[in-house]
Amino acid sequence: MSVIISTLMYLGFILIFPGFLFCFFCGMLLCGIERKIVARMQKRVGPPILQPWYDFFKLCGKETIIPTAANKKVFLFAPVIGLAALVVIQLFIPVFGFTAFSGNADIIVILYLLLVPALAEIFGASASGSPYAGIGLSREMVTIISCELPLVLVLLAVGKAVGNAVGTGVCFSLQTIAEYQIEKGSLIKQFSMIPAAAAFLLVIPGEIGSHPFDTAEAETEICEGMLAEYSGPPLAINKLSHAVKMFTMTSLFCALFLGGLGVGIMTVDALIVLGLSIIITVCVVALINAATARLKIEQLFKYYWTFVSGLAALSLILAWFGL
Amino acid sequence: MTDFLNYRHFPVYSVMALFLGGFLIIVLGNKKVLRNILAVLSVSVSLACMLALIKPVMIDGEIITYWLGNRSIAGGYAIGIALEVDALSLFFGLLISTAVFVSCIYSIQYMANDRNVSQYYTLFLMLSGGVIGLVLSGDIFNMFIMVEILTFAAVALTAFRNEAFGALEAAFKYLVVGCMGSTCILTGTIMLYAQAHTLNFAQLSALIPGNITTSGKIAFALLIVGFATKAFLVPFHPLAADAHGAAPAPVSVLISGVLTKSGIYGIIRLTYFLFQTISQSSFRLLLVTVGSVSMFVCVTMALAQHDFKRLLAFHSISQIGYVLTAVGLCSALGFSAGIYHAMNHTLFKGLLFLTAGAVLHETGTTNLDDLGGLSKKMPFTTALFLIGAFSISGIPPFNGFASKWMIYQACYQKAVETGHFGYLLVTIICLVTSILTLASFVKVSQSVFFGRLPEKYEGVKEVPFGMRFAMGIFAVLCIVTGLFPDLVGKYLTHPASAAAFNANAYIDAAFGEGYASSMLGPFASAAQDVVFDTAGVWSPVSWLILMMIALIAVTIAAVSGKYEKCSAAPEEVTDPKHELFFGGEKNRFSQVGGSDLFWGFKYNWRHYFSGMHDLHSGVLNDYALWAVVALALAMFFMLIVL
Repeated sequence: MSVIISTLMYLGFILIFPGFLFCFFCGMLLCGIERKIVARMQKRVGPPILQPWYDFFKLCGKETIIPTAANKKVFLFAPVIGLAALVVIQLFIPVFGFTAFSGNADIIVILYLLLVPALAEIFGASASGSPYAGIGLSREMVTIISCELPLVLVLLAVGKAVGNAVGTGVCFSLQTIAEYQIEKGSLIKQFSMIPAAAAFLLVIPGEIGSHPFDTAEAETEICEGMLAEYSGPPLAINKLSHAVKMFTMTSLFCALFLGGLGVGIMTVDALIVLGLSIIITVCVVALINAATARLKIEQLFKYYWTFVSGLAALSLILAWFGL
Repeated sequence: MTDFLNYRHFPVYSVMALFLGGFLIIVLGNKKVLRNILAVLSVSVSLACMLALIKPVMIDGEIITYWLGNRSIAGGYAIGIALEVDALSLFFGLLISTAVFVSCIYSIQYMANDRNVSQYYTLFLMLSGGVIGLVLSGDIFNMFIMVEILTFAAVALTAFRNEAFGALEAAFKYLVVGCMGSTCILTGTIMLYAQAHTLNFAQLSALIPGNITTSGKIAFALLIVGFATKAFLVPFHPLAADAHGAAPAPVSVLISGVLTKSGIYGIIRLTYFLFQTISQSSFRLLLVTVGSVSMFVCVTMALAQHDFKRLLAFHSISQIGYVLTAVGLCSALGFSAGIYHAMNHTLFKGLLFLTAGAVLHETGTTNLDDLGGLSKKMPFTTALFLIGAFSISGIPPFNGFASKWMIYQACYQKAVETGHFGYLLVTIICLVTSILTLASFVKVSQSVFFGRLPEKYEGVKEVPFGMRFAMGIFAVLCIVTGLFPDLVGKYLTHPASAAAFNANAYIDAAFGEGYASSMLGPFASAAQDVVFDTAGVWSPVSWLILMMIALIAVTIAAVSGKYEKCSAAPEEVTDPKHELFFGGEKNRFSQVGGSDLFWGFKYNWRHYFSGMHDLHSGVLNDYALWAVVALALAMFFMLIVL
């Protein structure tokens, strides 16, 4: 009997909270808010907040056209795998004190799991055979490489800072990081972690591909690059993945730097995370999105490997000397 | 009679079977079927002997000492030839014989249309026997002999398809620098013999560590450089690229998965056993530096390649760099991670070379700029390639991640423990190298398996069953070793690392209890328990969840019917809506090939890449000079720093 109950509980985690449905809801909400804010900054009225939902269900009803040059299976199923991977990441990210699958993953695992959705998109695009998609995936891969160095430095800095405090020297477990913050307050309050947090915030637009780092999609230039040949439900899933990734990155930021703000009640905590995510999205995605123009890919690479990595490295050095 | 089946004889059987098979094939090899049966039989016997040793050596912890001809010890000196098998030897023996077995099965159909196939099998078995003999040998002079056998077999196999462009040149380069390496090993061995009057490894390990003289240091430098040429570490990496590019695919599997391991094995034996210099932090730093330089230089070299097999060759050295770095850390976690990665490297790199061979077999080229879209014609090969590519780039559900994850932890723990800034840098290099590896495999998948299919490859078919079967074995092993890291740890890597940290047991097994502590005195190292904490947590359960969710999601998507109704184009009807989008231009063939990718990255690194381009001139004299300089630097290091 208890086996059935725990199975049902885990299924609930996977499908409802903090898994699929919760991601779906939050991602779409963030996406809608972001579009609205961008529109207001450009003195447009903007779409209703629910527009991403409308788009999603409309696309689901459309015909799927598969190009003759494409490898059908990879083309169709890659987006699904990418979405599934995002849901898995969400299960490992603690919502303050609560983790669906505690003790199963650390920040290095998250770092590499974050590659899976991007890879799924790359392989799906590659399978379509389109040259636009080819250019798009080349740029996407360079974007991934660009964001990787700052992310690595940030994670090492966090691991060192928490490890210093806990006494184990180095700590990568997300669970321990969350518990430490509940006890001692958010990491961002530490002087040494501020550059790392800033670097992470700057990585978020790069990871989700919003202006000025949307070189890989560049609608006006390479026809949305990797999405050039997608239509119907697979396109809907791809768009959903983009939205969910926004929430994944922001909630990861909350887990790493803003932990310990929860009250201990799961529902309230989830709402707090959502609220924080909205604030982060508005600040670092929407405002930058509206205010900037697209970078060239080599500028993007240089920006991340010099300026952002420099911030993260500063934080790592500060943490290294225990400041 | 039953004494022949005693497991103590198995090590020598596994070497004998391969050499005997090799000679029998040259005598009887005109009949095709007989030849194939002989080859498969001898590699199977060798593998079976190794598998049968798991129980006594890995689980019961016995160290088998086998004196050939029963000539053991006289007057306190070992005069006979010894095989000494501890868990470390067996670990390497196991992964080598597995790779040999699989690539032999693959060879049957892959080499079916070549000329002189019986010579091929003879050389193949000599190479395999050489490497297995090397890792099982308990005698430094026999190690040298095996090194000679495997080097010459490998050189001959590199030039086996000598009608192909560049094969002879590659073989010649390999011959020259390989011989320099072998000569170094021989000279080092002679100097050790002059000092200690014995060639037995266990006895040397008891006599040398407390008594390292100047000539001992020179000998050490010579031996290390000799084994580094076998592992193709930087600065010997250009040879590997040429050799792999020219050699047939199953031979590439041996050179990359097996031969480089023999170099790593030699370095481990020298540093953990014979000289025990690994306990000095300056020496650890040397190994880690060489490892991380190999890792990084070769991954960037791979990004610049235009040929599938050359690209894989550079990745091979890059992964060996990971192994050396982890082993050089000299912590329980690092060593376990290193040899775990060595095993995984044999599996996934073997798989990748076999898929490259499959592409070459069907299309006749491995040029990344000519190929494209093969996934429609070769779905099975594509699926296996993806498994291999995800494994090598350390994507979570596969084995490469499991071992790299341990390596990251080990590096960072070392950095924090010692407070040394260099180890922190090494951790960052490890993590960044992984993503660059991924990038170059994205490049291969786009330019070989996905993208557009050129018209001349319309007739390409999937490879025959034998080759698919061999690739399948590697793929299954990749997934299994990734899914059950605990089992791998318990039965393979854990006993092997315990053996590496227990040199005394190795010495005592040959010379009786107490010999090591009496000879070594204060230098005797106490056996260390192999226990380690990891700073993070990672349990395979989490990827089972990942797979389950992915499965559920895929099923829902497939069953919901939307995907069934999608209008795939029938082959003959040409509705323009199924053509690729070209912005209204005429639809013509266009493929984004290998050298078109990652422009932004290459542009920012242009000075680095052009420097690398100038350095790798392809002139043998330069590479020989590099070898001499490396030797000089190693001697300098040993004399001044150690």
